[in-house]
Amino acid sequence: MLATRLNLRLGGADAVVELAERDAPKTSKLLLSLLPVEERARHAMESGREVYVVLGESVDIPEENQTIYQTVGDVLMYYKPSVFIEPGWPEYANEKPVLSWVYERDTAIMGTYGPLATNVVGKIARGLDKLQAEAPRMRREGFGTMKLSRL
Amino acid sequence: MKRTARRILLDLDGTRATATLYDEFAPKTCEAAWNILPVTGRAIHANWSGREIMLHLEGEKVLRLPQEMKVRSNFVTEGDITYFYRASQMSRGKQLAYSAQFQRELSEFAIFYGSPAGEGLSAYDPARTPYKEGVHVLNKFATLDRPIPEEFRLKCETLRREGLKPLTVSRYSEG
Repeated sequence: MLATRLNLRLGGADAVVELAERDAPKTSKLLLSLLPVEERARHAMESGREVYVVLGESVDIPEENQTIYQTVGDVLMYYKPSVFIEPGWPEYANEKPVLSWVYERDTAIMGTYGPLATNVVGKIARGLDKLQAEAPRMRREGFGTMKLSRL
Repeated sequence: MKRTARRILLDLDGTRATATLYDEFAPKTCEAAWNILPVTGRAIHANWSGREIMLHLEGEKVLRLPQEMKVRSNFVTEGDITYFYRASQMSRGKQLAYSAQFQRELSEFAIFYGSPAGEGLSAYDPARTPYKEGVHVLNKFATLDRPIPEEFRLKCETLRREGLKPLTVSRYSEG
């Protein structure tokens, strides 16, 4: 079965994501139901080379195909502690569902007390080099929009 | 700990905060830092260490200092200002967010403006730990004066979204 392919755009860079539908069928289905996702991109402040968008509060991510050993090109869905997202986040909201990806090796997704298990929902199959240039550029010049849509 | 009156001024894109040097705790680092002031550059937000911005030291302002204190877990907390040094070829992956100079050798001031800051989240967190004994140098040499101006903290936070902003660190004296 050919993997479902998605287009990941960060600023002026495009990449292709292949969904991990065999290993993460529920998360893949969830992600497909949310597309297109277009939100302000953010850069991790605690986990290394990770770019993410915050999903709506009603998004319910099942625990599936999880790892604490994220690697380059992984596309992830998980709950990120709010303290890493905004300083004045409402106290009742301890965590937010996010969609993210990892663009370099020195990355480890962190919770508030150590490594955080994240669902691996896909892999960047093409265009990673473009994202590896665009994410640092945005880090220097300011972050824009990230869009994930069906190819 | 008794502190001397030496203070520094941080001006981040027009927003200011002051800090007091830890002269008794880190006398060599304080003296070296004091002697290169004022320092101006473009501050960048941290990737690993939480609410921290960094000012890379360039050209004749580069400091290559020895480790001056023991670094323990939870060494850095909100308000701390540290000197960090990493020799060339000690990092992993591409360092494209930095200029070519800092892909090789990194000498910087790090300002921890909010919580979470530094290694304070977990004592068992090697991925985020910026310090490896014998490889890096990490000296805490100042702390932001309290209360930390909210405007300054928020300005630091904007670096995450808006990118680099000018930062000048200079000697400060009241009146």
